[in-house]
Amino acid sequence: MSPIDRSAHLNRWNKKPLAEKALLALGMMVLAIALPPAAGAPVVAIVMTLATLVGARVPPGLWLGLMAAPAGFLAVGVVSLSIRIDASGIGLAPGGLMAAAHLAARSLAGLTCLLFLALTTPTSTLIAGLRAIGLPQEIAEISLLMYRFLFILADAAFAMDAAQAARLGHASWSQRLRSLGILIANLLPRALDRARRLEIGLAARGWHGDMRVLSDARPATASGIAVVVALEAATAAIGLFA
Amino acid sequence: MHIMEGFLPVDHAVGWFVVSAPFVVAGAVKVRKILGERPEARLNLAAAGAFAFVLSALKMPSVTGSCSHPTGTGLGAVVFGPSVMALLGTIILLFQALLLAHGGLTTLGANVFSMAIVGPWVSYAVWRGMRSVGIAIAVAVFFAAALGDLATYATTAVQLALAYPDAQSGFWGAALKFGGIYAVTQVPLSIAEGLLTVVVMNALSGRAGKVDEVAVLAGEVRR
Repeated sequence: MSPIDRSAHLNRWNKKPLAEKALLALGMMVLAIALPPAAGAPVVAIVMTLATLVGARVPPGLWLGLMAAPAGFLAVGVVSLSIRIDASGIGLAPGGLMAAAHLAARSLAGLTCLLFLALTTPTSTLIAGLRAIGLPQEIAEISLLMYRFLFILADAAFAMDAAQAARLGHASWSQRLRSLGILIANLLPRALDRARRLEIGLAARGWHGDMRVLSDARPATASGIAVVVALEAATAAIGLFA
Repeated sequence: MHIMEGFLPVDHAVGWFVVSAPFVVAGAVKVRKILGERPEARLNLAAAGAFAFVLSALKMPSVTGSCSHPTGTGLGAVVFGPSVMALLGTIILLFQALLLAHGGLTTLGANVFSMAIVGPWVSYAVWRGMRSVGIAIAVAVFFAAALGDLATYATTAVQLALAYPDAQSGFWGAALKFGGIYAVTQVPLSIAEGLLTVVVMNALSGRAGKVDEVAVLAGEVRR
């Protein structure tokens, strides 16, 4: 269902320690929005793009498509920053173009950081990491179970959608809306029923409410952390003093 | 409507995290209490969350002909209740950022506030308010879902205007500007989601037997 998830499991840096990848992505993300955007954002964007495409060998087509996805949202922000509306009509806002350019640079730099994390690290690994730094166990388990359920449910939803399309369920606007409503109404009991069956299966195996799974997580190496910190310090220096 | 990664300045990003945190923590405390009494409810909660995530990934026909995605906010608030939705909504928004690249991590606080807190509470208040004065179920469901969506979109416009006030007309000018631009897509979307939720509730009540008992389908999640 999600090409991002596939990439997260199959990229070359899949087995890199979580702490190193998370420190790189989140540190750079903070730098992207905290540094003056004129110099900081391009450096962050270049470093993270190289890390994603060259380092982790994420397919460039997938990455480009994801970078382009929020273009509409960004365009609205840029347009509304660069124009002004007052009594004399519509015109360019003073300094608006500069502000809009900075906004676009910062957002795109932030997006490269998010995409790096999403495309190189499976969500389940990230949740395990959050658990290690203090996320309550119950919340972590609900998140992991949700991650497990959602692919199954998405498969069911897309199968129902294809069946409806094949029976002219998408023929008109109102028919589409009705089809979608029926689909959703069938999906909810199905989801809860699946949960119930899983619960019975677990109860039969003496389950008391916590899930223990093996993980092949590797501990972070001092050299890896040092490289990431050095990279971020250099980016911060360029952003602040260039 | 998701605010994209990196769109908000640092102080606003942090500020919205601080504003959203108490609601999410309250939701988490409530969920922990439910789980303390009935550990098996976690499967139900996870299924409900996964359902809401899949809902937001489906394509919905909008009035202007373009396709968009339902938010599921109104449906979730009516069926599961708004306090649990704050926690489930937060996990869903995190998953949307990580699995679909919708929204972002630095903007998570702001998105949680508009989509997992304001939207569900408005939907829930409208639903309870209209039902208590005896308005028909279909009408109440429609307005709960549509007004929940509109409240979400208005909150996002306010968040953007607070971060980027207009040079001359200040906050209100910017709020009108952002609100006006997004109204083109968001108002038809709210109406479509309202209609969709009515269809869903009709079909669900067919399963539950009585319309007022749809919440029974939510089972352990609701109590």
